[in-house]
Amino acid sequence: MSVDAVFDTAARYLTRAAVLFLAAMMMITVVDIPLRAINLPIFGTFDLVELFLVAMVYLAIPETFLRREHVVVEVLDEVFGPRLRPVFETISTGLALVLLVLMEIHMIEPALDMYAFGDETKDLEIPKIVHWVPILLGVACSMLAVALLFVRDLLRLAGSVGVR
Amino acid sequence: MSPEVIGILGVVALIVLIMLRVKIAIALGIVGLVGYAALDGWDTAFIVLGTTPFDLTAGYALSVMPLFILMGVVSGHSGMSRELFDAANALFSGRRGALAMATIGACAGFGCICGSSLATAATMGRIAVPEMQRLGYDDRLSTGAVAMGGTLGILIPPSVMLVLYAIVAEQSVPQLFAAGLIPGIVLAGLQIVVVWVISRVLPGWTPDSVAVPWSRRLRQLTGMWKLLILFFLAVGGIYAGIFSPTEAAAVAAFGAIAIAALTRSITWQVLLDSMVETVRTASMLFFILITAFLFSYFLVRTQVPAGLVEWVKGTGLPPWLVMVTLVAFYVLLGCVLESIAMMLITVPVFLPLLLELGYDPVWFGVLLVVVIEIGLVTPPVGLNIFVIRSQVPEIPLSSIYAGIMPFLAAAFLLVVLMLAVPELALWLPGVLY
Repeated sequence: MSVDAVFDTAARYLTRAAVLFLAAMMMITVVDIPLRAINLPIFGTFDLVELFLVAMVYLAIPETFLRREHVVVEVLDEVFGPRLRPVFETISTGLALVLLVLMEIHMIEPALDMYAFGDETKDLEIPKIVHWVPILLGVACSMLAVALLFVRDLLRLAGSVGVR
Repeated sequence: MSPEVIGILGVVALIVLIMLRVKIAIALGIVGLVGYAALDGWDTAFIVLGTTPFDLTAGYALSVMPLFILMGVVSGHSGMSRELFDAANALFSGRRGALAMATIGACAGFGCICGSSLATAATMGRIAVPEMQRLGYDDRLSTGAVAMGGTLGILIPPSVMLVLYAIVAEQSVPQLFAAGLIPGIVLAGLQIVVVWVISRVLPGWTPDSVAVPWSRRLRQLTGMWKLLILFFLAVGGIYAGIFSPTEAAAVAAFGAIAIAALTRSITWQVLLDSMVETVRTASMLFFILITAFLFSYFLVRTQVPAGLVEWVKGTGLPPWLVMVTLVAFYVLLGCVLESIAMMLITVPVFLPLLLELGYDPVWFGVLLVVVIEIGLVTPPVGLNIFVIRSQVPEIPLSSIYAGIMPFLAAAFLLVVLMLAVPELALWLPGVLY
């Protein structure tokens, strides 16, 4: 299996997991409404929805990076012409890599602090470190995905320079 | 270097990075981080960078966004848009330009169940443009009607853009939804008037339409029951006091899936694809939100918004003139910036000024969305236009732009109406709250 295929598959599975959390978020909110009306609310709905939302958002992020789905403004493409476009794309990917690496590194400390202080959610007393797991995992996988894209961009850039 | 200068340099750097094709989310994050470091040092900047992703996403109220997106995506994939279009077509039949009017009516209806302009334009474009081409409508009118009709998706509630504004400006989602409803209906009406005027002035653009008997019109209109149920669940439930916005979004998303399943208009694969599309869109929006907050923290620390307030007060300009200048600025900005970036970058800068001048933040949110709508169809960054172009590549961009021009008059007229009569947006929230 090629590196690209491994990344694609892993990102797709993470997105599928995010879909499960979206479905869970929807279902628990919907089911809670009639149960609340008969005084049998699902205990900890808020806590669970918050957790599912965090998991949904961060588990789907790697695939959005891998597919280059993040919004870009292409207004100057025609001004600069096709030769400069790979240069800008490589710079953009490089900056994304820098931001994600810094984000991952500097999220570890607050996550460990919450673990050390024993922070928990209000109702279900879920340790907040649990929320950090998908955040750290999602950003780490995004970082790897962007690193792969960066290498691809650099190779493409080197190739185009070599051709000229 | 003073904080104000750092702030201004930050805004300039952000715009340069965005113009150089850096992803909007990344540009916001990098400038926010470096700017914060320039003000308070790297240690503080890294603390903000490390904590914002958790602080922003672990919030119950934010779950409203993916759930409303899900409702729109499922509705779009399960054929509700086709039924809406047929119903609107039957309603307007017999008038010259009926199909273009129906397109706008269907876009307004689809806006009730889909909070995205791009999704509305893409969904309706697939149905309406080929139909109008088949019947001999001018390409300029068919594409212009879809591009401008699509913008109704972010004004008529539920609207993803209004939810984003609510998050950034810390305003109430239900109040913003209520405020967007009447301007949305007025804009749809104005766009239909534009089609009517075109059909009179340029009869060659609009073929005759055969009137459908009223019995058939009524039968087609009953096909809109799905839309009415979903709109009641999504919006009516909030104002009836039955649901919170998150609950309304969850019930409406579930309702869309249930209706599609019961009417056998969706397969498991389409449902899975819809959910994948939803989580990817929502994730991308959340990542932009995270980095936009980083940028916003930095900007607030520079005191640029406060400095702007003082400077404008010092000029002694009347508030209405400041507002007109701002609208002109936004229209120009819309020509070069994408809609989400436009909102996330400018709201932290201008909102304090508008509050100081006595404007209502809910009213401003709706006005901002109307101006952003104009940005969605103005060159060179008119995303709705690119959506339509991708569906009908044989129609040149120049024709699409020409078709949009008359409809822009309707959008600008709404801006004028909202400036002159703020109650257009504020009356309904005032009645409901």
